[in-house]
Amino acid sequence: MMFFLANLGMYVFPVILIGVPLYAWAKGVPVYETFVKGAEEGLQVVTSTLPYLIAIFVGISCFRGSGALELVSKYMSRLLKPLGIPSEVLPILVTRPISGSGSLGVTGEILRIHGPDTSLGLLASILQGATDTSFYVVTIYFGSVGIRKTKHALPACLIGDLFGFLTGFIVWKLMVYGR
Amino acid sequence: MNAVWLVLIISGCVVALATGNVEALMSSVLEGAYDAVELVIGLTGIFCLWVGIERLANESGLIDALSRVTRPVLGPLFPYVKDEEKIMGAISATIISNILGLSSQTPLGLKAMAEIKRIHGESSEAIHSMITLVVISAAGFCIFPSGVIALRAALGSQNPAIVAGPTAVAGLVSTCAGLLAHRLFSKCLR
Repeated sequence: MMFFLANLGMYVFPVILIGVPLYAWAKGVPVYETFVKGAEEGLQVVTSTLPYLIAIFVGISCFRGSGALELVSKYMSRLLKPLGIPSEVLPILVTRPISGSGSLGVTGEILRIHGPDTSLGLLASILQGATDTSFYVVTIYFGSVGIRKTKHALPACLIGDLFGFLTGFIVWKLMVYGR
Repeated sequence: MNAVWLVLIISGCVVALATGNVEALMSSVLEGAYDAVELVIGLTGIFCLWVGIERLANESGLIDALSRVTRPVLGPLFPYVKDEEKIMGAISATIISNILGLSSQTPLGLKAMAEIKRIHGESSEAIHSMITLVVISAAGFCIFPSGVIALRAALGSQNPAIVAGPTAVAGLVSTCAGLLAHRLFSKCLR
């Protein structure tokens, strides 16, 4: 079952790649021209996100490079200590919504030092996989359609992240006590 | 976003000045700008591929068919776009890519945003259904988090996929909490 799930994405990909053009061809759609038209549209979409991505990347790297991110993690760890969350994984909680590659780096460090199958390694993996990078998603999705006023999108995503982390933590507790 | 961006920049600069970290700040900021360009270049091929395939699915009627299948489930989440098959089709394709962890999630997501914009017209403000889609995508509910699992396998885990169940549960709760927050915010702020 796990093996099947693990490879589901791998099987679905070729099915789509072969199935969609074949179906379109059978329906009389000029497949080559249509694909090229779509690809051109994709090019426009992806380039229109660049200014927004530069803005947010500059902001985030300013925050990270200056050491402000570390400071925030440090204060957060004091606040979160009573909850019983190990202080090693706190940088993941702070980094995950802001920078996907950043938090993957932190997770990698924890797995290297403590081992991927230790309880700490499991918790780090679960928190890393629990959500997606909210800042990135909000930036690129709204940037692509030229919307600057994102209203409550970011706060709503961050509340989602918070609950995702809490759930991950609780499931981890159950897992660790269970073995 | 205005406030978020300002807070990131100002707090970064203040901390850098206070700790004498200005040089690290400079190189980090330039690297950030460079990384954004590199990311977009890296994404361009994947985008063109998936939007090209989406176009084929669109013109052959597959997208409409998909929206009819997913309507009972997704319809209630997007009350304002119920009757627009093209939008619901694009949204469905995005969410399915998300769940399966396919590389098509962002290209199709942006395509769906463009469809919502096309139907609802020019707006400088986020539209309700756009925020719903963003919240679902940002929560990243996925049955198989391939990035973490690859990392665990690379570092010699005995059972790299053991985290898939817990992350799926966390992702599901994250999605529900995000959608609930979205609902509450849009009621309170109106």
